[in-house]
Amino acid sequence: MAGAITVCRKELADHLGSKRYIVLFALILVLSTLSAYQGAEYIKDNPQAGFIAVFSGARFGFSFTSLMVFFGPIIGLSLGFDAINKERTSGSLSMLLSQPIYRDSVINGKFLAGTAALSLLTVTTIGIMSGVAMSILGFGPTLDDASRIILFTLLTILYLAFWLALGLLYSTVTKKTSTSILMSVATWLFFSIVITIIAALVANLLVPITMPRDTSGGNIAKILRSPEFRELLRRRFSIQMNIQRVSPAYLYNEAGASILGISGGRLGFIGPGGGRPFKSLELIEGLTASWPQITAIAAGLVICFVSSYVLFLRLEIRPGG
Amino acid sequence: MPEPIIETYELTKYYGNVKAVDHLNLTVYEGEIFGFLGPNGAGKTTTLLMLMGLTVPTSGTATVGGYDIIKESREVRRIAGMLPEGAGYYEDLTARQNLDYIGQLNDIPESERKKRIDELLEAVGLTKWANTKVEKFSRGMKQRLGIAEVLIKKPKIAFFDEPTIGLDPQGTKEVRDLMTQLNKEHGLTIFLSSHLLYEVQQTCHRVGIIRGGRLVAADTIENLSKNIAEKGRMVIEFKLTEIRSDLIRELEAINGVTHIKRGEDNRLYVYMESDRSREVSETITKHGSIILLMKPKEHSLEEIFLKYYEREA
Repeated sequence: MAGAITVCRKELADHLGSKRYIVLFALILVLSTLSAYQGAEYIKDNPQAGFIAVFSGARFGFSFTSLMVFFGPIIGLSLGFDAINKERTSGSLSMLLSQPIYRDSVINGKFLAGTAALSLLTVTTIGIMSGVAMSILGFGPTLDDASRIILFTLLTILYLAFWLALGLLYSTVTKKTSTSILMSVATWLFFSIVITIIAALVANLLVPITMPRDTSGGNIAKILRSPEFRELLRRRFSIQMNIQRVSPAYLYNEAGASILGISGGRLGFIGPGGGRPFKSLELIEGLTASWPQITAIAAGLVICFVSSYVLFLRLEIRPGG
Repeated sequence: MPEPIIETYELTKYYGNVKAVDHLNLTVYEGEIFGFLGPNGAGKTTTLLMLMGLTVPTSGTATVGGYDIIKESREVRRIAGMLPEGAGYYEDLTARQNLDYIGQLNDIPESERKKRIDELLEAVGLTKWANTKVEKFSRGMKQRLGIAEVLIKKPKIAFFDEPTIGLDPQGTKEVRDLMTQLNKEHGLTIFLSSHLLYEVQQTCHRVGIIRGGRLVAADTIENLSKNIAEKGRMVIEFKLTEIRSDLIRELEAINGVTHIKRGEDNRLYVYMESDRSREVSETITKHGSIILLMKPKEHSLEEIFLKYYEREA
């Protein structure tokens, strides 16, 4: 364990000083502050929304949750994708493993350091957002709001740690950082863009919408209002949603919505935007509702980490790397 | 009699179907510089990686400093340091930070660490560059930093894998001198893996020759040379003021001399089955020629090396 702490300290110092981390941190901080400003404006217009709408209310299209849905994978993956293979290529890994430490200290330390860096990013960002919103609104979160914010922070850290673990896995299975960076970018694009396209495509194939040929304008409006048509839309939406649930980002979005007390899971730009009114869930209700998603993300994290752990312990250090 | 500090028993490693190390039995004694000699791909690096616990043997085992390399590999790494071939460093950290990290991993308390780092930087001549990022270092400087990283744990045994590869003559000499000095002054046992015959001859007390993962010979260079000489014939090299053809004829008539070879610059090589150097030199002086030089022709390490190789093949 002593070895893991030493590795963790060194890696954390590396992260905090790295341009990569600083740039991402700055980007998220700027965008989040803007979104807090938007959220606060939104609360002013919708007093029933409550303080936590700071994180979900999106007037111009992005809220903190949608930011995390989109940038989360890149933040997590970028802290993990070269953790092992970079040291393998540079030759510092064999130097490191020649020290009197157990091999798992290396991977544990690296994962801990990444998680610590991500936690720092999340806590700072959410803290600053709350501060900005409080100064605009003139009131702070209630106790209930505060507990939701804490839970939401933990959820965000878990979600980012999942991407970190996936990046760590990529860095363990590949020899070159150029390969793992490509895999990371591909993963990011797949889960943030490609999957929504696929979901829409599949939904369209399974539940095609057929319009009657010759109809006057009045008829169309009538059709659109008809219960059959609504049922059709509902089925399409449910197919899309279930496909998108493959994406941890979508799961995070849903879980976030439940924890923040907004039902329906339509916070960011994933899922159709609708005009349904806010329906506040009680804290416990929200937590219960988000449990399946939280479990899925946590399971994904464990699978990624354990795989990279096992692979790393079995890694053959061969002559020449 | 010195104590054995490294012993391998039938140490074997396969990479898939490729045999890298094949039932290797090897002993290295405390306080010696042991040269591990063999061409590229002979299994030198694999042996080192197994001894340090970076790779698990397919079968067989070994002890380093009394610790089993499989069950107690962490203890092995506590008392043994390795400078692997192509060792790398944290490029965006300074020399001091790199050393400090390795020191921390060895559980060296902070005050002691600081002291040792200063001493080591001095010893490897990097004091001036202590706070320079390693990315700015030349190859030779990096190699010296690597040696410092090996030494920070005050090891009993140091494994150096091709430590002078890619260094200029100056850097090569510095690294070799440093190894010799460490061995002499601190009694550090050094296991030097190399394919450079000259380097091994210069620095090592004993040599092990490895071929195709097997140890084909292990002894002092002197003994290895003698072994070959006994099997073959004795050769003495002479340099004379003049050589006449009747001298050669007369020398060939000496009992025990098999044949004579003339070399350039009035040199003679006399091949004998047994030592007839006295008769030979008497005959030469009788003919009025003066002996300017007379020495038994020693086998160069290159010859020894090739002989052992041929014999195995």
